[in-house]
Order: sequence, then structure tokens, then C-alpha cells
Amino acid sequence: MLTKYFTKVVVRFNPFGKEAKTARLFLASIPPRQRIMGTKIENELLNSTSTKEPIIKVVYKDKKEDSVDPRVLSFMEIANKLDGHSRQLRLKETIENH
Amino acid sequence: MLKNSLFLINPHLLRCNGRSLTRMSSIRFGSSAVITAKPQDIELNNGRQTVKAPNSRKTFLIDSYKHMMETHPVVIFLHYNNLIKSEDHYFRDQIKTTNGTLHKIRNNLFKVYLKNSSQIDPCAPIDSKDETLIKNHPLHPLFSGPTAAITYKDINPTDIAKLIKVLNLAKDKLFVIGAKIDAEVMDPFQLGTFSKLPSLPQLQATLVSMLQMSGGGGLVQTLESSTQKLYLTLKSHEDNIKEPKE
Repeated sequence: MLTKYFTKVVVRFNPFGKEAKTARLFLASIPPRQRIMGTKIENELLNSTSTKEPIIKVVYKDKKEDSVDPRVLSFMEIANKLDGHSRQLRLKETIENH
Repeated sequence: MLKNSLFLINPHLLRCNGRSLTRMSSIRFGSSAVITAKPQDIELNNGRQTVKAPNSRKTFLIDSYKHMMETHPVVIFLHYNNLIKSEDHYFRDQIKTTNGTLHKIRNNLFKVYLKNSSQIDPCAPIDSKDETLIKNHPLHPLFSGPTAAITYKDINPTDIAKLIKVLNLAKDKLFVIGAKIDAEVMDPFQLGTFSKLPSLPQLQATLVSMLQMSGGGGLVQTLESSTQKLYLTLKSHEDNIKEPKE
């Protein structure tokens, strides 16, 4: 997954729930150096009584927001979905640099 | 298939037919595990039957998880979000000051332990149809993604309060996802309320002082009265028996 173009990541999940695997794999796929590079990572835990919905929300460098439901999609599906916009940004960057 | 089912019934057959079995590269056991322990390994270990070789890393880890869960009353599970080495050292050090130890966990082996936790030997071959296996252990959902555990040798809510303070600094790098306290499984919110309790000796002291005060005094008297009456009756009976002899 291309995480280079994320500026903010919000992950909300219940560790005992069905969505935990996707959410935790997503969190783990962001390299540790990226926190120092300026990507904000926020995580919030839920329990079985909380009314909030689990979510994975990403803000890209061009301020586009994308959010997905970790209960419905697997980690690979989410990665593919988010990579779509990241690839566009990468293309834009290479064009600008040359 | 037929051979397979024979082993399910009697694991000793595995050793008796050792020679012929070692020629086969691997044996399917039940539904998932493949027995790779060789008969000579098993003999070296006083006949302990294990799925993987008795001196293998997998057997060692499952044994260590059994030790961890059975000898430590407090085990806290965390999401270990790829820390860099200096962060890892820092948090390990901080956790040590709260009297805990951090262990990283291999999820699949821990799941094997959870499934077999009611068995005498969690490394032994199992029958997948065995009803004593715990297939839906309440801790099971925690073992997907990078996981670590912090163990404590005694139940002390103040230690856990200190730990929560340390982990608040870590934010998304290291956070609690669940805990086992005695036999109870807790979520992070329940652990938070648990950490606010006073320590066990403190609670015992307040209980004793409550019982000694006027309100509790009556309760102590009521509880004591029946045993006291029994003692007095028996004593008088004893005196009655002794008297005629004299």
C-alpha cells in the first residue's frame, strides 16, 4: 500500500470485533518513520456498547478525504481502493518534477 | 485416511509404527496440524508426545504461553505498532519500572494454546472433533495483527494505573486491546476502571476496619454466635461425660 501521500489517518475500531483484523493490519502497514515525517495517526478504541461506527479515514496531501468501513472490506481491498488516488498523486508528482 | 483415523484413536501407534512413518514426509493429523516430531525425539523427551519436535521453537513457545497464562494473574494484550528500536527499548524500560514484562507474541501459536488450554499438554496431538477444545475462546479475536503482552506476577491496580500512564504517551504505537485478570477477560475500558481501584492490601484493611467498627461489630457477633454456641454445648457435654468417672 502507498502510504507516502497520507497526511492524516484516523482509525476507529473495537479490538474484539470483526473489523479488528483489517484495522490493525492497516495501522501496522504505515511505516514508523512516517510519524516523524509528519503524518498524523489517530486511533480510537470502541467497545461493544459504544454507538460510534468503526471507520478508517485517510486525508491525502491534496486534502482529499477518503473513508472506508473495515467491517465490510478486507485489508487488501482497502489498500487497493486507497492506492487508486495515491497513484494519481504519484503521477502528478513525477510530471511536475520532470 | 484409515491410518490417520487410527492415530486419532491411539497416539501410541505413532511410536510403535515409527519406522514406517518416518519414511512419509509428513502426516496430516485431524484437520490442521502436521506432525513433524520424530519417534527418536519423543523418546529423548521421556515419551512426551508433541506435534512439532519437542526441542523445536514452536513447542517451546506454546509451553511458554501456557506458563505465561497460568502463572501470571494479570496479562495485558497490546497492539504493537512497528516501533523503531529506540522506542522499543524505551517502552520496555518504562514497563519494567511498573513491575511488568513485555513479550511479543506469535499469533498462530498463541491461538493454538488458547484452543488447547483445557488440555494437559497443549503441544500434544489433538482430535479436531474433541469437544473439550475451546474453539471460541474470548481472547481469540485479539490475535490478528502485531500483538504483544505485558505480564504481572501479582494483581496490583496501582501498577496498571502506572502502565496506562506510560501507554498514553505511546498513543498509536502501543495501546491496550484487551486483558486477562485472574480468569476474567476485560476490554480496555474495563481495564481503565480496574486500574482506579485501590490495591488489594488496602481493600483488605478497609474491610477489617469496617468489621471492627460499631456497624460491622454486630455482623461479626452474629457470625461468631453459632460457632460459640456449638463450642459451649460441646464443652458442657464433655463436662457431663467426665463427671461420672470422677
